[in-house]
Amino acid sequence: MAIVNTSQLITQRISLLLDRQASELLAADLVVISANPFADEYSQQARNLGLQLSTTTSLRTAVFIEDDAQLVKLKAVDSHYPLRGYLEKSVDLANDKIRVQQGPKAGEIWLDSKLLTLLGSTVELGKNRLSANWLLTYEPDRGGTLFNLAPRILMNLEDLPASGLIVPGSRVKYRLLFAGEPGQISEFSAWLKPRLRDGETIQNLENARPEMRRALERTRQFFALSIVLTLVIAMVAIAITARYTASREAPKVAMLRAFGISQFRLFRFYAWQLGKVWLIATLLGVGVGWFSQYPLQWALDGWFGKELPPVYTLRPYLVAAVVGLISLAGFSFPYLVSVIATPPMQVFRHISSPQSVRRNLLVSGSAIVTLFLVLIILMQSSKLAIATLAIVLVTALLLPVIFRLMINTLLYSSTSRFWMRQYLLSRLKTHTRGAMFVMSGFSLALLAILLIAVVKDELLSSWQTQLPDDIPNYFLINIPTEEVAGIRQFLDQRQVPTSNAYPLVRTRLTHINGEAVETIDFSSPRAGGLLHHTFNVSYARNLPDGNAVIEGKWIDPNSGLAQLSVEEGMAESLEIGLGDILSFSVGSEVIEVPITSIRSVFWENFKPNFYIIANRQSIEDLPQTWLLSALIKESQKSELRQLIAQFPSVTLLDISELMARMRGIVERASIALEFFFIFAVASAFIVLFAAVQTGRHERQTETSLLRAMSAKTNQLYRINVLEFTLMGILVGLFSALFASLSGWIISVYFFDIDYHFSPALWGYSLLSASLVLTIAGILVSRKVYNISPMKILRS
Amino acid sequence: MTENNFCISVQEVTKTVDTPDGALDILQNISLNVRYQEALVIKGASGSGKTTLLGLMAGLDQITSGEITLLGQGLGDKTEEQRSGIRAGKVGFVFQSFQLVQGATALQNVMLPLELGGEKNAAEIALNSLQQVGLESKKDILVDLLSGGEQQRVSIARAYAVRPQILFADEPSGNLDAKTGHQIADLMFHLRDQSGTTLILVTHDAELASRGDRQVLLESGRLQS
Repeated sequence: MAIVNTSQLITQRISLLLDRQASELLAADLVVISANPFADEYSQQARNLGLQLSTTTSLRTAVFIEDDAQLVKLKAVDSHYPLRGYLEKSVDLANDKIRVQQGPKAGEIWLDSKLLTLLGSTVELGKNRLSANWLLTYEPDRGGTLFNLAPRILMNLEDLPASGLIVPGSRVKYRLLFAGEPGQISEFSAWLKPRLRDGETIQNLENARPEMRRALERTRQFFALSIVLTLVIAMVAIAITARYTASREAPKVAMLRAFGISQFRLFRFYAWQLGKVWLIATLLGVGVGWFSQYPLQWALDGWFGKELPPVYTLRPYLVAAVVGLISLAGFSFPYLVSVIATPPMQVFRHISSPQSVRRNLLVSGSAIVTLFLVLIILMQSSKLAIATLAIVLVTALLLPVIFRLMINTLLYSSTSRFWMRQYLLSRLKTHTRGAMFVMSGFSLALLAILLIAVVKDELLSSWQTQLPDDIPNYFLINIPTEEVAGIRQFLDQRQVPTSNAYPLVRTRLTHINGEAVETIDFSSPRAGGLLHHTFNVSYARNLPDGNAVIEGKWIDPNSGLAQLSVEEGMAESLEIGLGDILSFSVGSEVIEVPITSIRSVFWENFKPNFYIIANRQSIEDLPQTWLLSALIKESQKSELRQLIAQFPSVTLLDISELMARMRGIVERASIALEFFFIFAVASAFIVLFAAVQTGRHERQTETSLLRAMSAKTNQLYRINVLEFTLMGILVGLFSALFASLSGWIISVYFFDIDYHFSPALWGYSLLSASLVLTIAGILVSRKVYNISPMKILRS
Repeated sequence: MTENNFCISVQEVTKTVDTPDGALDILQNISLNVRYQEALVIKGASGSGKTTLLGLMAGLDQITSGEITLLGQGLGDKTEEQRSGIRAGKVGFVFQSFQLVQGATALQNVMLPLELGGEKNAAEIALNSLQQVGLESKKDILVDLLSGGEQQRVSIARAYAVRPQILFADEPSGNLDAKTGHQIADLMFHLRDQSGTTLILVTHDAELASRGDRQVLLESGRLQS
């Protein structure tokens, strides 16, 4: 209960924080975009729901640098912007950046680094004359349109009407930004969607930032998986304890039934006991969960850099109580039913009844239903829920069979001597001891821990592969063709590593198979956004890093035929495929190119990635600029001024902040993952304790008998320790096997990450299981071999 | 042999246990001696202290006061390990509920005390012992599958396999029907006659008790004459 409650609370708070940090990249939780001014009803409804609001207006205009007109993208923001995240400004490229929560004041503008030459002057924007005192070095929601950048100017929204820049026919983008609690945002979003007018689109994190989407989705899925696996461990402990308690209660029940007490009355009595257990456990567990947030928060706050957002709903507590009830009922009920059916004849002699078979079926069926219900309550992906359920069940069913097979094999391969090996193996085989059950239970617990560790490591490894320390931190864009070589030379002279240079042709998609895109009825909501998108079509001789052809064939550079490669998400949204002919407008020209391949793109690698790549011949004669990425160290940043002075047409885009944010989210997510790992390990110790308790009486009786037969202390010690060590070796071996198989299935099919076979996993599994169980055996032995042999006479 | 030819000597032994209601005297001031090769029967009602006395005489438990000498060695000041060492190879037990190792064969059960004592030819000796109780044909059968009488015979074979000087039997026919119990009694006394083992027997069974050389009666922890 404590585990579920704490996990729910911390998960929700961590999730909120991660979502909020990711939302900072939108500068809001939700954005509505339109080419026309918004009606008041959106703002009014948002205010009614208690949401924060901000407005921005963007348009293209020109500023004069000396006598040259420079096209810029003007963004006018109100005083509430940004709702999430922050802005950064600086007096110079090489100077420290200043973090602020508001944009420029009225009468002031902030400039893109490309407009460095205007810094310190008064700039004419339409009818306004505005002071340009700052460079805009970081803007949270700029990264969403990485490559569609004219130099940016940020101004105060109050200055826009007086500028006279917006006239009929102006191409303006209006944005309404909203921020609030997740519940408020969901409610507003649900209200808004059916009311959207033509040309209005909603932008949230999921559709705005594909490189974030997968990372967040995987993190959330991993949280849910970890909670479930930790719960599996807790359920194993319940099952072991319920089974043991039932076996101890059976003689009592037989006696009560012999005295005429009905099964219904017995059921009611035990159900009431279980109800009290649930109530006490809920109060204790929820209380522990609630309190344990605070030390965890204290521990995690420093790592997360800010407070975890509080959770004010009752949901985590209710979920913990409901999950606890389902788990307790699901794993205790079969044993309860079985124990109240104990035949009264058992007061005279033990009867091995056919109800054992019925009980096993009831146990299995109840376990399946319980696990499934809990998984549905806690997990978001039903496919992952079913897969986890299947893995746990298959493992639970196979393990006892495998263990019995191993023990029988060891037994029948033994020598003629009975003591000590055959004695030990025959002990493990006897039903009364429940060793198979305990070993299976502990194996499930270890499997859960290993699975959490495996998937955690694969996730972290995949993220760290995407974000190595030497990844380029600057994009140089809008490079004229004739300056590419010069810029490369400039950077090479200063030992700045660079990527390949990519040409970019700005296009708009106009037709699909001759049909105008405006007339096509697309089923995907994303299609609308794509149709308004200006695509930067590039060409590449070789398939870029992080791209994989999933349909068709990669562009043949030697062929004179027109070829086009399209990203799979775009293809799906626009319902296009191999052979479809796309028409693009480039200025006054139109090009028509057939799709010859569909690609998957690994957006998270922060390398130049493109929705559309054509063959060279199709676009080489069209107007184009170039981009390349570079790794510019802190010590080299002072050279940037010289770079811009020498190549004034180039725009420098610093994505180090973006990458730092991504790395930060990954690092914090990994801390959270460790948290679940620790919780899982703690739960496994509960299982261990329950397992050691099981068979305690049988162990005492056996020790007493061996003592009566004059066994020495060291013989008793060794037999108990070896019993646990042997269990540990078997548990470690097969847990590693099932964890490897399960880790592969979950990594590849659900988290979409590579899986690497790990010999270390086997080593850790064997070592930890053997060590932990051996230590348990030593501790048990210290108690057991002090048992008086008189016990055997009394039993 | 002790100088006065007693294999067990019990001198003014008291056994007291602590209970939530205070100290409880299980045995009070018990004194008796057992000769070698004697068959002593301890009788008494339930709760009279018979099993406690048996256990003390076998060194399975510690006395509160007095002295017990087993095969010439005092048990009073010995640790459990030391008492176990005194018993090793010299004492056998037959229990009311058989106390066999479930999941093991008849032969393996009889081998166990021999192997614990370091006997190299345990299998051979165990087989011989099973032959003596008429169960050699069932040596490889799991004891769980044997009848009550057969299990008790395995238990007797196990007890006699170590060639004990003393055999302690606690209600050996208690879990058996009259006929089977009679057979078990016959077997025990036959083997005792063959081997010359001293037999200390606790029983309610009057017929079994009458086969002993001597009977003592315990009432409320005290020995009646």
